[in-house]
Amino acid sequence: MKTEHYRILEKSKITDFLDKLNTISKVAAPVYKGFNNYAFQTIKSAEEVSLKYIPTVIPPKKYFLPTNESLLEFSLGNELKVEPTVEYENLILFGVHTCDIAGIRCLNMVLSDKPKDTAYLIRKKHITIIGLECNDYCDEFASCAFVGAHLPTTGYDLMFTELEDYFIVHIHSSKGSDIIEKTGLFKPAQTISMEELKALREKKSAIFNNEIPTERRYLPDLFDRSFNASIWKELEQKCLSCGNCTAVCPTCYCFDIKENVDLSLKVGERYRVWFSCQLDPFAKVAGGIDFRRERSARQRHRFYRKFRYHIDRYGMVFCTGCGRCSRTCMAGIKLKEVLTSLIRESEAKIWRKWL
Amino acid sequence: MSKPKVAFFDFACCEGCQLQVANIGEPLLDVLDIVQIVEFREVMSEKWNGDFDVAFVEGSITDEHAVERIKKIRERSKILVALGSCATIGGVNGMKNSFDLEEVGKYVYGESYKFFPTLHTKAVHQVVPVDYFINGCPIYQPEFLTVLKCILQGIPYYVPEYPVCVECKLNENVCMYDRGVTCMGPVTKAGCNSWCINNGNICYGCRGLTINPNTEGLKEVLKNYKIPEDFLIKKIEMYNKCKEFDKS
Ligand code: SF4
Ligand code: SF4
Ligand code: SF4
Ligand code: SF4
Ligand code: SF4
Repeated sequence: MKTEHYRILEKSKITDFLDKLNTISKVAAPVYKGFNNYAFQTIKSAEEVSLKYIPTVIPPKKYFLPTNESLLEFSLGNELKVEPTVEYENLILFGVHTCDIAGIRCLNMVLSDKPKDTAYLIRKKHITIIGLECNDYCDEFASCAFVGAHLPTTGYDLMFTELEDYFIVHIHSSKGSDIIEKTGLFKPAQTISMEELKALREKKSAIFNNEIPTERRYLPDLFDRSFNASIWKELEQKCLSCGNCTAVCPTCYCFDIKENVDLSLKVGERYRVWFSCQLDPFAKVAGGIDFRRERSARQRHRFYRKFRYHIDRYGMVFCTGCGRCSRTCMAGIKLKEVLTSLIRESEAKIWRKWL
Repeated sequence: MSKPKVAFFDFACCEGCQLQVANIGEPLLDVLDIVQIVEFREVMSEKWNGDFDVAFVEGSITDEHAVERIKKIRERSKILVALGSCATIGGVNGMKNSFDLEEVGKYVYGESYKFFPTLHTKAVHQVVPVDYFINGCPIYQPEFLTVLKCILQGIPYYVPEYPVCVECKLNENVCMYDRGVTCMGPVTKAGCNSWCINNGNICYGCRGLTINPNTEGLKEVLKNYKIPEDFLIKKIEMYNKCKEFDKS
């Protein structure tokens, strides 16, 4: 932690800061929607912003990978004309929690792998991420400490951490330091602030305890033993296949491709929309065969997709612990409980082997 | 090339879906550029004696006259489209099937009920083959245009088989269950872009059950939210009673 990479912002100046940010470019930030729900929305003024919030209904992923995104435009005149399209604009995301930053890191990994998702990569360049560290759990659904997403590591331009009477801000990119300069509200950090930051992190390590009774490094073994675990059958009864858990997950990136023509039937666009492995048509192929008809198989796939497959391919766990899937599931399927059940069942099996 | 000839017909229904078509606004002019409407009782008095390229049929089939009439329309149409919940799934007319037909007749027509013979309500595809389905009570205008374009391009239209929740989440609505209200979204076919929830209402389930609904699971959910089970059954029967004729 180098002091020269840190700045101080008085708490009373946060409104000024947000309003100035809004003059630099479009700003999206967490806004309260009622009934303990929040959403990232473009803001007109600082008052709309909730500095204290639980993870938004859908993650800020929506700015990187729009729910509905045009891919190409075509016209079917005498000759076929096809023009790829990329929709992007300069945007500052303010108040992104570390779990959601981890989510964007997961997307970066996959979408810059071959075949590169060019539209995503272009859009990403135009988005500035200003993080906001959590000093306490958002609620009981979070499991960010298990995956190490409760602390800022990388993947942001600026990171705001709230201390007693000011914010300490980590500058992590030139885009970030530009904002510090343009807004002109920050003071350099002193040694004392650095010590206060350190003290906060120590306090956090007492608050944030691993929420799952195992360690991350045991996940591959655990999942290799769990393909036929009884919990999948239980989920078969409970799950409604509504797809909410995948719609809200910051690390899901599956999409469906569709086409739309105008009423002349000559001009149109090809676009993609978010899609999900929990939904009936997802694994259906010609002839009506469905490779994953049972809800149990779909739920199992979801968990393997978060905790097993990507460890082999990318060396990363694809869960950020944000808790959205558990929060949104009206059937009460909770990620922490599912993992705990897998652990208990697999422990019992190992013991039986030894006895 | 002459424009495809299009006609609209209604059976047991409220004609609200045809009204949705008539009220579609500006795109209607573009529609009229590419099709020729030859019969549409709600907006014009002309009739057509020849064949149709596309017939849109609103309403469910509830008596022998209707059976004969829909068969004739089918014979005269290259493509037949079921328009709205009454036509696609039987809709609210299906509630009749929960009662004894004689009892129903007496309730409506009194002692002269014998002059008005009636049948169990059926959706259009339960009587004649249907090529395209436009669900909804009433239909969702953008979906009508999408289906129309599919028909004119000669490609199929797939009614989404997943639930309304999918669209609702992408619209980032506050879930009705968070507000403490029951919503039929989790077991109802999508395609309306979660129209009602976007406007502050629950989903009534008007587009019919998804292909593979976990109704037992939903009963458990309702138990957790302390909502009586028979409330759900009534909501499902409101639109889906005719589903039992699909099983054959
Ligand atoms: S949110 Fe719950 S009920 Fe819906 S698909 Fe996911 S696990 Fe199943
Ligand atoms: S699986 Fe659940 S907790 Fe993990 S990142 Fe996705 S929504 Fe968040
Ligand atoms: S899951 Fe962790 S990092 Fe994410 S909002 Fe909750 S406490 Fe913050
Ligand atoms: S409001 Fe209804 S449709 Fe929307 S997510 Fe909740 S249950 Fe599903
Ligand atoms: S939200 Fe539900 S009730 Fe409303 S139009 Fe859609 S399916 Fe019908």
